[in-house]
Amino acid sequence: MTDPSRRTLALFYCRNVPEAGEADRQAIEAAYGGHIRLFPLPCSGRLEAVHLMRALEEVADAAYVITCPEGACRYFEGNRRARKRVERTREMVAAIGLEPERVGIVIGSREAPKTLAQLAARIYEETSRLGPSPALKRPGTQPPACERRRSWL
Amino acid sequence: MITAEQKPLDEIREMLAPYRRVLALGCGSCVAECAAGGEKETAALASALRMAARIHGEEILVHEKTVDRQCVREFILPLDDIMGDYDAVLSLGCGAGVQAVADMYPEVPIVPALNTEFLGETKDQGYWVENCVGCGDCMLYYFGGVCPLARCAKQILNGPCGGSVDGRCEVNPDVPCAWQLIIDRLTRLGALDRLERIYPPKNWARKQGSGPRKIVREDQQR
Repeated sequence: MTDPSRRTLALFYCRNVPEAGEADRQAIEAAYGGHIRLFPLPCSGRLEAVHLMRALEEVADAAYVITCPEGACRYFEGNRRARKRVERTREMVAAIGLEPERVGIVIGSREAPKTLAQLAARIYEETSRLGPSPALKRPGTQPPACERRRSWL
Repeated sequence: MITAEQKPLDEIREMLAPYRRVLALGCGSCVAECAAGGEKETAALASALRMAARIHGEEILVHEKTVDRQCVREFILPLDDIMGDYDAVLSLGCGAGVQAVADMYPEVPIVPALNTEFLGETKDQGYWVENCVGCGDCMLYYFGGVCPLARCAKQILNGPCGGSVDGRCEVNPDVPCAWQLIIDRLTRLGALDRLERIYPPKNWARKQGSGPRKIVREDQQR
């Protein structure tokens, strides 16, 4: 059970980020008590706007992606695509009245590589300052009346 | 294929304001190919609308569904079972798809989520250009496979205009001069003589002068 006073971060990440194996993922999620939800990707280029939007709607106060360094993508341009998709998603998020900083990208560094745990900690700290997201479906909240009415049909 | 772009979210929200129960209806054909109204875009837009409603304290139910082709009656028919659950349909189809759904369900308000743009060629990933205006009287043979109506800013049939510089259009230097392309291709094909005739003004009645166009193929009908 997550603590409602703490923020939740959905973090998509490229599997080529240092120390981003399955055991690392489980350790980070356990350390944050479910307040960081990690979604490994074979390549950050797999990320689409809909993934970030769904994360903001259903599970998290912020949704970020961590990519491998520029020029180091195993599939050549995955991290460049991820950056463009994050930019587009930020525009969508801004259009609905949410802070665009709730969506973001962190590009790994070749010179000073950081592990998944280090990057996750930094992003969690920064995004937590934004406070609770008014767009996030909170557990236990009633569905809209129009949704409830549907059950009568 | 038909290309389209999503309307601004504010415009969509304004059109949806009177409705509480909305079906966001994507189309898995052309508008999916141009990343405007396929399954992923429909899901992202539905998410955006639900979140916007939450932020602004509005009450709206948005469900999403994508059909393979919104402009073909047979693909729309399965909606019969669920259409009664909704006050309105937000269509992410092209203009033909929007109108096909509107025609099938005359009692249900339909809101277009896209601006339908043009008949496009996919030049590269995420890059579409208009190469055909659907004039109804194709002259591509005479112009070496380059349409001056779609690709020349002045739409001249007896070009070039003389204004191009280094093979670029004088109206928009970002695009190549269509007439330069026509002459280059016809020269390569040894068919430059096709330009010796004078082409009369286009008969636009075949495009839109007689109301909506239709094609009837009896051999394809029941």
